[in-house]
Amino acid sequence: MAIIIQQLLNATQLGAVYALIALGYSMVYGIIRLINFAHGDIFMVGAFIGFLLATLAGLPFYVIMPLAMLLTALVGVAIERIAYRKLRNAQRMSLVITALGVGIFLENIVRVLVGPQTRQLPPLLPDAILQLPGGIVITEDKILIILISLALMMILWLFVNKTLMGTALRAVADNKEIVPLMGINLNQVIAVTFAIGSALAAAGGIFFGQAYSIDPYMGIDLGWKAFIAAVIGGIGSIEGAVLGSFMLAEVEVFSVAYLSSNLKNGIAFGLLIVLLLIWPSGIMGKPMLKKV
Amino acid sequence: MKKLGLLFLIIFLLGLTFEGLCAPPELKFGVSAPLTGDIAAIGQATKNAALLAQDEANSAGGLKVGSSKRKVRFIIEDDENKPEGTATVFQKLINQDRVLAIIGSQASKCSNAGAPIAEAAKIPQITPWSTNPNVTKGRKFVFRACFIDPFQGKVVAQFAYTKLKAKTAAVLYDIASDYNKGIAEVFRNEFTKTGGKIVNFETYNTKDTDFSAQLTKIRGSDPDVLFLPNYFNEVPLQIKQARQLGIQAKVLGSDGWDDPQLIQLGGKLMEGAYFSNHYAVDNASPALKTFIASYQKKYNAIPDAAAALTYDAAKIIFQAVTKAGKANSLAIRDQIAAIKNFSGITGVITYNGDGDPVKGAVMLRIENGKYVFDSAVNP
Repeated sequence: MAIIIQQLLNATQLGAVYALIALGYSMVYGIIRLINFAHGDIFMVGAFIGFLLATLAGLPFYVIMPLAMLLTALVGVAIERIAYRKLRNAQRMSLVITALGVGIFLENIVRVLVGPQTRQLPPLLPDAILQLPGGIVITEDKILIILISLALMMILWLFVNKTLMGTALRAVADNKEIVPLMGINLNQVIAVTFAIGSALAAAGGIFFGQAYSIDPYMGIDLGWKAFIAAVIGGIGSIEGAVLGSFMLAEVEVFSVAYLSSNLKNGIAFGLLIVLLLIWPSGIMGKPMLKKV
Repeated sequence: MKKLGLLFLIIFLLGLTFEGLCAPPELKFGVSAPLTGDIAAIGQATKNAALLAQDEANSAGGLKVGSSKRKVRFIIEDDENKPEGTATVFQKLINQDRVLAIIGSQASKCSNAGAPIAEAAKIPQITPWSTNPNVTKGRKFVFRACFIDPFQGKVVAQFAYTKLKAKTAAVLYDIASDYNKGIAEVFRNEFTKTGGKIVNFETYNTKDTDFSAQLTKIRGSDPDVLFLPNYFNEVPLQIKQARQLGIQAKVLGSDGWDDPQLIQLGGKLMEGAYFSNHYAVDNASPALKTFIASYQKKYNAIPDAAAALTYDAAKIIFQAVTKAGKANSLAIRDQIAAIKNFSGITGVITYNGDGDPVKGAVMLRIENGKYVFDSAVNP
């Protein structure tokens, strides 16, 4: 029993990071129907901004976190402005290829600037080991990572559902052609979406760097995983992205724990295929085809 | 304008022929190294060591080949520590640069990808650092400068059982990499044969960063030692996660640990860990001391084993070219195969028909952020 709870805690931490990235995929897809394949690399950029702020400037966590989120949000907005806006009405394929190109560009620019080595963020959060009853252990930073991630997701949910900008966002997601006629600035809404998605990815990046390690190529695998989590949950849905992320993390951790670590990815992606056969648009996704 | 361009072209061509007349063409050798990618630090050390060997040869006027002295040039290419990248690099070095011999690559999975290409083109290849037995198996043109994993795995297993008095051991290794997988399996067999018990044999895939599920299982069986035959860029993270879960076991590793980054990344976590290696800086022979000194002078860093082995590989090739007396790959191959009692800086190298030298290993302990010589084991 203790081992199961321990594994659940392991999965929760991993799931929280997946969710922070998956939300960006989901939001951008919801708004402009673009699977932003550069998003995993924006997550990596966020992690490295956090790394540089921590090592070069030596700032404390509560400064690094918002600052890195802000800077990464600017990177995300800039990418949308430079690479995607002109192509917004172009063929879907051109956008996807541009996104892939932006991702490879980001990987290489970071590699040139900071080198290809694996790095670790200096410990920003207290990491004392806490002994829980039943022989379960958890470190303080793990608890903080899980709690702050959940808080960020909560804030996002409130923003989208309770504010005027959030309403505009949902309206654009529903119909991009008509909404601008109601006096909503489409460019602004899209920029806000990219900013929020990138800021959350930066938070994920810093947490990831805190728990694990970072390198310029870290965004590729993590990006795929988060994308898949978003698809399982139903891409375009915020709740779905969070649900899909925790599910994926739990499937991964428990297939290592009870089946074979060798089969981890095979099982996780096999599950994706099965789930998509049952729910073609994800668990919480809306059907894409509208009845005429 | 056109005339000016033509004039430059003529001058340029004259320059080329003039240079060609003056000095015999330089001897070109290839180096395939992981200059970028996950073990880029090893690639950098490889490049440094190759350039050091090149500069030493050239400042002595070049290598004596037949009746003339010829300059040496290493063409160093980045294989990104990927098998497919290594295949491309080998093809480029052989078909485009027409090199006489190739040093590399470093990780076994990459050397395994390059070896069939070198073998087919009949270009001798020496890998400095690949310890997986399959790299040279059944190949006539492939050699290495290091010992092989069956020996290394045995050394670590016996060290764990007799010196550390371990009765139970857990292993966590990268199943997607030939090196990690090979040595993990040798360790399992040897440790069991010696009388110990393997309580967990866990795997992960290259680039995984979360090992907590595997480590939680390992914690449940409370082993005496935890063997991590993985690369320096991952080991500190694995130890960190193990300690965070409360695993108290002594940690053991293999030569994939040997890079200054291990300490940079791991810091205090690495204290008291042991690993097998090709040489010990603090137990160096005079020749090795000279190498360490000139490497430190030139690059302001302590050379890792990959650098020392690369230097040995370069020297083996230099000796083979000189002995062959001609710039011919087949003749160089025969001279390498005939090498007996070559005193390299990492040990004495003799090729007994296969491409594997019989060499000793050392066990190092990490103390106060430094590698300390613990014991030497000879085959």
